[in-house]
Amino acid sequence: MGSIFLAGTEEAAREVSQIGCMEPIISTENLTKTYRVGKVDVPALRGVDLVVQEGEFLAVVGPSGCGKSTLLHVLGGLTRPSGGRVLVDGNDFRGMNDAQRTKFRRHKIGFVFQRYNLLPTLTARHNIAIAQHIQGDGFNPHRFETVAEMLGIKDKLDRKPYALSGGEQQRVAIARAVVCEPKLLLADEPTGNLDTENSQLVLSMLRNLNRDFRQTILMITHNPEAASVADRLIRMRDGQIVSD
Amino acid sequence: MIFENILHRPIRTLVSVLAVAIEVGMVMLVVGMTHGMLHETAKRVEGVGADIMVQPPGASLFLGLTQAPMPVQVGDRLAELPHVLAVTPVLLFLNTRGGINLIYGIDMPTFKEVSGGFTYLKGGPFEHPYDMLVDDWYARSNNVKVGETINLLNNKFRVSGIVEHGMGARIFIPLSTAQELTGAHDKASIFYIKCTDPGYTQAVITSIKQLLPTHQIHSTKEYMSLMTSNDLPALNAFISAMITVAVGIGFMVIFLSMYTTITERTREIGILKSLGAGKRYIIGVILREASLLSILGVVLGYAGTWLARKVIVATFPTLTVELTIHWALWAGLLAIGGSLLGAFYPAIRAARLDPVDSLAYE
Repeated sequence: MGSIFLAGTEEAAREVSQIGCMEPIISTENLTKTYRVGKVDVPALRGVDLVVQEGEFLAVVGPSGCGKSTLLHVLGGLTRPSGGRVLVDGNDFRGMNDAQRTKFRRHKIGFVFQRYNLLPTLTARHNIAIAQHIQGDGFNPHRFETVAEMLGIKDKLDRKPYALSGGEQQRVAIARAVVCEPKLLLADEPTGNLDTENSQLVLSMLRNLNRDFRQTILMITHNPEAASVADRLIRMRDGQIVSD
Repeated sequence: MIFENILHRPIRTLVSVLAVAIEVGMVMLVVGMTHGMLHETAKRVEGVGADIMVQPPGASLFLGLTQAPMPVQVGDRLAELPHVLAVTPVLLFLNTRGGINLIYGIDMPTFKEVSGGFTYLKGGPFEHPYDMLVDDWYARSNNVKVGETINLLNNKFRVSGIVEHGMGARIFIPLSTAQELTGAHDKASIFYIKCTDPGYTQAVITSIKQLLPTHQIHSTKEYMSLMTSNDLPALNAFISAMITVAVGIGFMVIFLSMYTTITERTREIGILKSLGAGKRYIIGVILREASLLSILGVVLGYAGTWLARKVIVATFPTLTVELTIHWALWAGLLAIGGSLLGAFYPAIRAARLDPVDSLAYE
């Protein structure tokens, strides 16, 4: 991905036109993931084949338990696949150990969760800055300011999560996810806990991130309205992709 | 994040800090009181002014524990040795009533020859067999006045004088009375010897060793150097045991505190992991938090110890609490080390948490 701070939509559009010639950012072949619950093996992904190009905004829909979240966790390197091949930004997860996947996640992946998952003891400012701190490149005030302005949270930065509305918390979470310029933004039901107005606001911000800055986004959702914001819709059932 | 976490759970923080402070205070006070007692005892022995001490075979460095099997007549033979200026026999015993007090039964004329005599702050020397002298610290802590009657070994003694502290014991009675009360007729526990010149000390010791080969003979300087916990194995074991208990308390409280923290913050650890925080980062967060708690505890411990010393000395003026920078540093290091050790397992456990399970933790 180019910088999310590219100025002007013309340049962004020019980059979008090059998508076809680039390596896919996500490529999975026969991806499987099986959880062991007690003495029983529970297959969560049963052979997922998926190719996502850089700059795409992809929505994954499907009933509960169909494997959407597991797919997101595997693609984000939070859990190891059981079988098949997973390539994210050219990195093959099969040969990566936990520490390597953690390092990869630190530099390439941004997560947005349904429950915001902000650190309750920190202010919005520190919740965002901690991502830069963990990345290890130090605090980048310019990038921080740009992201905070873009997401409309500049006047909320000194508040702790309990003093923010759901929509504001989710915007802080998005800011934290994109402040380090990840290659891939993985959003797990980002509007699941929000009312209609805030849902629209969060979705439009994700849309803007994708359109203006070519941020690749893979979003899991139950909400058809949310899914309609994406460029591409994938349906899953029983651990497999049933339509693309 | 470390400061925020600590402020987020004030009671947990307070308990952890207090535990470390108690640990520091316990180490410093136990060591300070033990060393204070040893040094103060040694200084009082030095204050007698003798150059040499002669004790019976197998006698303890703790003078109060010494038996009295030496005939007083031994003193006459010692006094005949070359370069000996004066010899004074002392019968030592402990009075355990109203606290433990070392009592010197002294022969006033020879004791004066060796020591140069008491400095009387009030009253004067013995006039009757059942007269006693007390030092100013004893008088202050027990509110004793000249002329007052005190019960000692089931006998009533009249306080004939209050003397300046630092002359062997805090209570003195006539030697003959002490021998009668303890049934040790014509016996002494120790002989203090004054040389004609301190330079003859070694020569006199050599002569005494020929005369009394099995007895314990120390120069006062040697005695002073022996009065350390390193030369008193039982005391060293006591100090070590107390330090172990203190460090154990700090270790366990920090361990429990950090362990509960990990359970409470499982989801937050999952969030950090989703942001790409590795094991080292997570361990670092936990250990830094434990370090901060223990540093706060150490500072509070120092302040508490200083305050406790003031209270102890004000309440028990005869006690000496010797606080040293050396032991303050050791106590601090032990507390911080123990805390880090206590936090290590919880930190490792946190680092090993599965990110997906942690994020799903309610």
